[in-house]
Amino acid sequence: MKNECGLAGAGVELFDTADRELLVRVADVGKRFGDFVALHPLNVKVYSGEFFGVFGPNGAGKSTFIKLLTGQLKPTMGQVEVLGIDVIQDPQMVKANIGIVPESESPPSYLTPVEFLQFVARLRGLDDTEKRINYWIDWFGITDKRDTMCKDLSKGQRQKVMLASAFIHEPRVLFLDEPFANLDPIYQRKCRTHLLDMVANGGTIFMCSHVLEVAERLCTRLAIIDHGRVLAAGTISELKSNSDENLEDVFIRLVGHSIEESVSEEE
Amino acid sequence: MKVAGLGTSDAGRRYQPATLSSAFGITFKMMFREEWRQNVDFAKKRHILMFPALLAIVTMVLIVGIKFLVGDGVADVEGLEDQRRAFTWDELKFALHLPLFMFSLGMGSFAFLGRVMVSQRGSGLNYLLASPALQPIPQSTNHFAYWVKEVCFYLMLILMPVSVGMSLGILLEVFFELETPLLWTSIPITMFAMGLTLAEGLAVSFLASALWTRGKSWSRIVPFLAVLAGVFVLGGWVDFDSFILGYSFQLNHSLWIGLLAVILIPVLAWLGAVSVADDFEQQVSERKELLSPIYSRLSFLGNGTLRLLVAKEFVDLIRSGTIKKMIVSYTVPLLVLLALAWLVDFTDSPIPVNLLTYAPFLGFFGFNFYSWLTGIDSPEFMNGIPATVPQLIRAKVVTYFLTTTWISILFLILMAWKLDSFAMLPVALIVMIANSIYIVCLTAFLMGLRPNKAIFDASIMIWFWVGTVIPLLVLFLLSFSQGDTSFYDNWVTQVGQNGLDAEAVAFDNERMQKGFTGILTISILLIGGGWFLMKLLDRRWKHAPFNN
Repeated sequence: MKNECGLAGAGVELFDTADRELLVRVADVGKRFGDFVALHPLNVKVYSGEFFGVFGPNGAGKSTFIKLLTGQLKPTMGQVEVLGIDVIQDPQMVKANIGIVPESESPPSYLTPVEFLQFVARLRGLDDTEKRINYWIDWFGITDKRDTMCKDLSKGQRQKVMLASAFIHEPRVLFLDEPFANLDPIYQRKCRTHLLDMVANGGTIFMCSHVLEVAERLCTRLAIIDHGRVLAAGTISELKSNSDENLEDVFIRLVGHSIEESVSEEE
Repeated sequence: MKVAGLGTSDAGRRYQPATLSSAFGITFKMMFREEWRQNVDFAKKRHILMFPALLAIVTMVLIVGIKFLVGDGVADVEGLEDQRRAFTWDELKFALHLPLFMFSLGMGSFAFLGRVMVSQRGSGLNYLLASPALQPIPQSTNHFAYWVKEVCFYLMLILMPVSVGMSLGILLEVFFELETPLLWTSIPITMFAMGLTLAEGLAVSFLASALWTRGKSWSRIVPFLAVLAGVFVLGGWVDFDSFILGYSFQLNHSLWIGLLAVILIPVLAWLGAVSVADDFEQQVSERKELLSPIYSRLSFLGNGTLRLLVAKEFVDLIRSGTIKKMIVSYTVPLLVLLALAWLVDFTDSPIPVNLLTYAPFLGFFGFNFYSWLTGIDSPEFMNGIPATVPQLIRAKVVTYFLTTTWISILFLILMAWKLDSFAMLPVALIVMIANSIYIVCLTAFLMGLRPNKAIFDASIMIWFWVGTVIPLLVLFLLSFSQGDTSFYDNWVTQVGQNGLDAEAVAFDNERMQKGFTGILTISILLIGGGWFLMKLLDRRWKHAPFNN
């Protein structure tokens, strides 16, 4: 069974793709780990100027999905293209042109934030590395921690360093996995505003989360997945069955139902 | 200054991934810094500097004594037997390169290390070796930089101190008229040769691990080639120096061999680097339940918290793979001790060293093992459950004894066999066990769950050294009074003939009797001391939080 969550279909009238560039194309991509099916074959198209969210309960397959799109995992089947580059064939080229913030990864523990950003900037062949580093260190408010080893930073500070490393080359496409999880409300808002600016300027965000509030505030379209299957996809208004329903109701209707099904299957 | 906004990178150009030439410099530099900090973090500066200093001193002593090893110092030897007790220079070179090669083989499996770092990068600690998962740097460049970094780090940490020690050894000749057959010109040649051996071992091991991680037929080819190489060398069909280019260079002093090695070794490492697969999967592993089966086997510990905590310690040891590493790390110093026993016996040392001299040292390694036990898992989750730090410390001490005692006993038996002193074995076992109990209990009492951090606390370390060195030294000196094993033979004969009716052993001399009484008294005191320290644990650690 294929899961379609491209723009073909009901979402067209609400999200116009006419002048938009296709930046992420996922065709029949699935992933197995041995006998375990982490992701059933699915299809996704994400365009420039989109804030695309993938939502689902813990263990739904969100992080696996983002790893497949960023060349961290090879799919068992299907094709993935980001910025027109085949991710399976040329993952290095994709990584050079996107930004990735994983869910739980920290910057290298024994480097300082400045050193890690120097490392990233020089690997990416950026100009004005010092200016860029100082800008993002200052932007994230960690100037006083610039020479502290990353292992000695708080979770939130490490998350800021990871975000800075993904922002430093001003990528056109960002892949974020629970990006706000450890940030305080002030920096959550600051990042949200910044990401929305990026989208307004033609950039694209692909984000995984289970925080529905984020979806309602930011996403132009979203997919809800569970047990490696897309349960529903579209704009928020498309997903609602009636005007009284909020996104949490939608999520519980879809995911709660799927959990009940899986429990009864096991029984 | 404001940098351009996000989403602008495509406006002018498309970024290209890093190449070997563009990424090697920064990667090497940062990896070296990371390695240095990691070592400093583990051992702090004074400690990391102590190791090279120790190595330099040991080398210096060896250089001074080298004339005895090669026979130059025993010019007045009379019989063939004495001449046989000297080594040839080629044998000494072999003895220098073989352990170095084996050591570097053991340290060079970077592809395995890379896999571990990639799969654990979400666990809190992260390293540059895992950076290709997110950054546009090829695995090959990243791993090759890691190999170069390792070679440089070992050159700095091992070979430089060795060369300093060699220089000091020769300088002693100038200032103190201590003769050594070593020449100044030997130093650069030996260093270069050792550097080659070290780099080659790391490169070979790296290549083998990289091929192994590719799976399928590669994981069969690698052990097959290793066994084949072993068979050829041991069978005498291929000389050992054909494999180890540094050794070959030092034997032949051939510039061509040196040149070949300088080219071939990095090529081997590069082959290893390009063989590392682009595999960034973070493996999810499911295991059969271990806690209950282990718990049921520990019925001799009763039904209290101790039994449960010991069972948990064993699960951690097994699942983390630490049990294998710990047994190896515990066995290596014991092997060194065994080799030392053989060497002392071989060279007919004038010091009356015997089995009882080594027994206390076996217990001394307990400190290392206990330190490993405290570092496997963070105990912070226990702050929320009804257990106390002293209970966990006791569990670790019990785990230590259950895991290591059999190794120590085995080694003592081996040593007794090697030194032909089986009669001394029962007393040596008492001494060894008493020391193990005391030293681990002292470590646990003084350092709690944080021995790696406590070693930087001067007040704790003073107590630790006083508490360990004094009894160890007394036992060590008393052991010299037991040089004549006829006393033990007498005891064995008595028990063999009369069983439990064995009568008091007739002592040949008073000095030996006093020494024996002293050894047993100290051993009993040490066991009592260990028990007392365990009782005092509650007083010292009762209110401490679970934190390592």
